[in-house]
Amino acid sequence: MNGLGDLLRELTPQVLAALVRRYGHFDTAEDAVQEALLAAAQQWPAAMPDDPKAWLITVASRRLTDLLRSNSSRQLRESRWVPPEQHASADDDSLVLLFLCCHPSLSPSSQIALTLRAVGGLTTAEIARAFLVPEATMTRRISRAKQAIKASGVPFGLPADDRLPVVLHVLYLIFNEGYASTAGPSLHRVELSAEAIRLTRMVRRLRPDDAEVAGLLALMLLTDARRPARTGPHGELVPMAEQDRNLWHAKDISEGVDLVTAALSKGAPGPYQLQAAIAAVHDEAPSYAETDWPQIVGLYELLRQISPDNPVLALNNAVAVAMVDGPTEGLALLDDRLGDDHRLHSVRAHLLELSGDHAAAQASYREAARRAMSLPQQRYLNARADRLTDG
Amino acid sequence: MKYLILAYGSQRDYDAMAGRPAPGAPTWTPQDFEAMGAYMEKLNNDLAESGELVETRGLTAPAHARRLQLKGSDLVVTDGPYAETQEVLAGYWVVECDSYDRATEIATRLFHVPGPAEIGPDVVVDIRPIGESRHEL
Repeated sequence: MNGLGDLLRELTPQVLAALVRRYGHFDTAEDAVQEALLAAAQQWPAAMPDDPKAWLITVASRRLTDLLRSNSSRQLRESRWVPPEQHASADDDSLVLLFLCCHPSLSPSSQIALTLRAVGGLTTAEIARAFLVPEATMTRRISRAKQAIKASGVPFGLPADDRLPVVLHVLYLIFNEGYASTAGPSLHRVELSAEAIRLTRMVRRLRPDDAEVAGLLALMLLTDARRPARTGPHGELVPMAEQDRNLWHAKDISEGVDLVTAALSKGAPGPYQLQAAIAAVHDEAPSYAETDWPQIVGLYELLRQISPDNPVLALNNAVAVAMVDGPTEGLALLDDRLGDDHRLHSVRAHLLELSGDHAAAQASYREAARRAMSLPQQRYLNARADRLTDG
Repeated sequence: MKYLILAYGSQRDYDAMAGRPAPGAPTWTPQDFEAMGAYMEKLNNDLAESGELVETRGLTAPAHARRLQLKGSDLVVTDGPYAETQEVLAGYWVVECDSYDRATEIATRLFHVPGPAEIGPDVVVDIRPIGESRHEL
């Protein structure tokens, strides 16, 4: 059954892309594909078709005809038509679908939802579960997104590559949502990370020469490689300094290092390559203390030149500086723009603890715990605060 | 001489062939559909074998049609602008054969396409000689 699920997930974007390319009507085609998938899930276990993709396209096309029939005989739908600027090859269909889902008229949350649904083949219920919102909310979000795409009149065709950064950002957000869930009882939503990696691999197949695509894939692999060591036996969060590095995935690390090394040789590195380079330095270090912190500080400097206003970068940079120059130097670099974010308070607490100011560190840990939204994070931060009391 | 043979159908016909007949429309069983496909394939193979087939295509349902027209200076696109019983082009053959009569003979075979017993009386097929140059139009 899992094999069937994987097959359907793999075929979904191809079938949807085939329908949209041939007939247009993104929103209706999407509904038609969902119904074809449902039919496949019911019928295939009994009798597998010889060509599953062709089967799905046929069934979805018939369903699309039905859906259009029920609309079109009653109302004529007229729209300004803009000629497609480029003609894309069939191989690019999945990328076109991804670009369409990352349409600039959509909010990032809608882009993510639509990408997971249309390209990732996740059901609305699965996406709603992953983002901890009621299914009805996610349904509304997705249908609004489809309406917005339809209203924009953007034809199905490969848009200029200037949308690629948005696509990469959406994939990055999906990965992060899976890697460090911002809310709820479970630290990881592994399936979202795995999905982001799968989609990024797909983009890389289609854009093999793009160094930032390679950088993003490397970043995901190098980060995901640490997942097995990131939680303890009771689901508690284990900070990098205390992780058992033997649990890290050596294969992912080596693939990520190779990717980022090759990408960096291609000229001025973009933000994903730099973040991947930082992750690579961490992953290749024998221990936290023996990490090449000066190199990490140097990479953060480069990153901050590209994105000077990113408070999370500033925060990570402060940690690296503290490892090189001491906690006081790190504390001086903390900036309060992340005042509502638990990460600022946990970093401050950690640096205060290192500097020996246990009372202030404890207060900061408690503050961080109050703001953290995931239970493992709260448990971890409270435990750190408790330990300072005991000591 | 080349001739264009045009076969017509309506959205209603397409719906019926897809196994979703409108009330009162002929019901196509999967076997009917299979038999129709086999008949068409035989026809096309015969024409290919005799060297008379230039090109043949079936068109998808009218629901998927898109009409472009200028309204003032605006290009306006209308999707599926056909009423469900309106006959539109459903498929065509370009044949190259000796005479108009031979083209007619070929087109006549379309009236023997197997299908549900109720179809038949409404079938319309056109034959249009193709002009090979501007002067023949």
